[in-house]
Amino acid sequence: MFQIYLPIAEISVNLLVMLGLGAAVGFLSGMFGVGGGFLLTPFLMLSGIPPAIAVATGANQIVGTSVSGTLAQWRRGNVDLHMGAVLIAGGVAGALVGVLLLRYLRGVGQAGLIISLTYVVFLGTIGALMLWESVNVMRRQRAGKAVSARKSGQHNWIHGLPFKMRFPRSRLYISAIPPLAIGGLVGLLASFLGVGGGFIMVPAMIYILRVPTNIVVGTSIFQIIFVTALVTLLHATLNHTLDILLAVLLIVGGVIGGQFGVRAGQKLRGEQLRALLALMVLGVAVRILFDLVARPADLYSIIPAAGG
Amino acid sequence: MRVSRLGLLLLFVTLLGGAARAQDPLPPAPVVKPGTSQEKVQADISTRQIAIESNFTGIEILIFGSVDFSDARMPASGTYDVIAVVRGPNDSVVVRKKTRVAGLWVNGPGKTYTDIPSFYAVLSSRPIRAIASDKTLRELGIGLSAVDFSRDTAGSPQEQSFKSALIRLMEERNLYTVNDSGVVFIGRSLFRGTVALPVNVSTGRYLVDVYLFRDGDLASRTKGSLEVTKAGLEATISNLAFHKPFLYGLLGIAIAVLAGLMGWFAFRRD
Repeated sequence: MFQIYLPIAEISVNLLVMLGLGAAVGFLSGMFGVGGGFLLTPFLMLSGIPPAIAVATGANQIVGTSVSGTLAQWRRGNVDLHMGAVLIAGGVAGALVGVLLLRYLRGVGQAGLIISLTYVVFLGTIGALMLWESVNVMRRQRAGKAVSARKSGQHNWIHGLPFKMRFPRSRLYISAIPPLAIGGLVGLLASFLGVGGGFIMVPAMIYILRVPTNIVVGTSIFQIIFVTALVTLLHATLNHTLDILLAVLLIVGGVIGGQFGVRAGQKLRGEQLRALLALMVLGVAVRILFDLVARPADLYSIIPAAGG
Repeated sequence: MRVSRLGLLLLFVTLLGGAARAQDPLPPAPVVKPGTSQEKVQADISTRQIAIESNFTGIEILIFGSVDFSDARMPASGTYDVIAVVRGPNDSVVVRKKTRVAGLWVNGPGKTYTDIPSFYAVLSSRPIRAIASDKTLRELGIGLSAVDFSRDTAGSPQEQSFKSALIRLMEERNLYTVNDSGVVFIGRSLFRGTVALPVNVSTGRYLVDVYLFRDGDLASRTKGSLEVTKAGLEATISNLAFHKPFLYGLLGIAIAVLAGLMGWFAFRRD
């Protein structure tokens, strides 16, 4: 019942499970302004979808949820177009480098290990930092001290850089170099790990660029549309790993879940949102680390030979 | 109108006649001196064209046949043995073994197997080793031990562990199966057996070989084949993905953007 055969993955999956998975990831995506790829891709692999297909199809799903998420954020005035354009410019360059890097590692035969280690390092570090920061804010609030999430006019090393640009929506006047570099790094990781990169983009924009939290969510999800669309196209063209039928199931669930997620996100305070996101990021990092450290149930594995 | 009704009546009468004939007692077994018989096996497959559509969850095929000029006096007397081998299109796979490096389990040495069957099923009326000698089985290419997994390398212990891992993993995926009692005789000369093709079967041509044994010797053999193809929407998507990949990628993005717009439009609150 409700089984559907996927033409590219060449397996049969349950329709309702895939719709539900899309909805759950879409909900988180709308709530936190992250693409949700770092959750979706591992879950798809657990459902038996081959990893390469999970990565490409996950990216395609994120395009859909990001479009509806962006529109919802747009109406609330949370998208900084200037900032988004600079991030996308960096992201496109980074994504291309990431695809080339991945091809090289596949040739060497250790792509899986490097991807897992990158996940653990990035998710672990970012998750721990975010959790520490948000818990501190919550504790200080409980103590009754006034806290301002963003200290306006505060200067740091970023203000010494050239090529200054005005970002009116974020109320920032900073150099274009840091957003370009962040966009590039996120684009590289996005294509490399098969994720949107929101889990790196969001903290980087908050803590390095000091963009207001509400603008961060809208702008991050806006730039994710473009980076994941490029990643989808590259995977479909170079590797033939996009399964449109699976993508449609995930998108339908994701779009609906995303709308509810945005509403749920409005009800939570910034630091609560960050603490929750941090816990999830840490959870995934621990899970991946466990898989690397624990003795596998079967030491042997078979995969189709490349080009075979 | 009149003509067609007449035709229908004729057909009916013919059918009745056929049914009446079918009720006649079976003709006695042909009288053949033992040892001089020329048994011939005939077999066919229930489904020669398997179309993979969106509701595909695997399929069971029936291999059936008969032994012509059967010498057997009694039903299921055990005079004959039948082995059927279904072999899927060839495929190349990499088998990797994980090793522990600095506390982490990483992919260590790997071995590539080219031109191994993507599907291999052996079904027989008795365990195949009881039917014929290892030599005969190997010559005919019957059984997993007769499949050529590494034509270019000799069997070192390392090779052996990779090969047995490959077979074990393929068995876990139901792609390699051995069924010792998969072929059942019905009456004196009819036999049947079923083979399950799991959902993850490869597309292509599957060869079906049916062997008839008598006292450990091959008495007769017959060949058949079946074709597994994608059909309908599955075929359209698959063709587009492999032949027009850029267009296919753009289509994926367009669907995603459209769904995103529709979702937002349906749920927006003004």
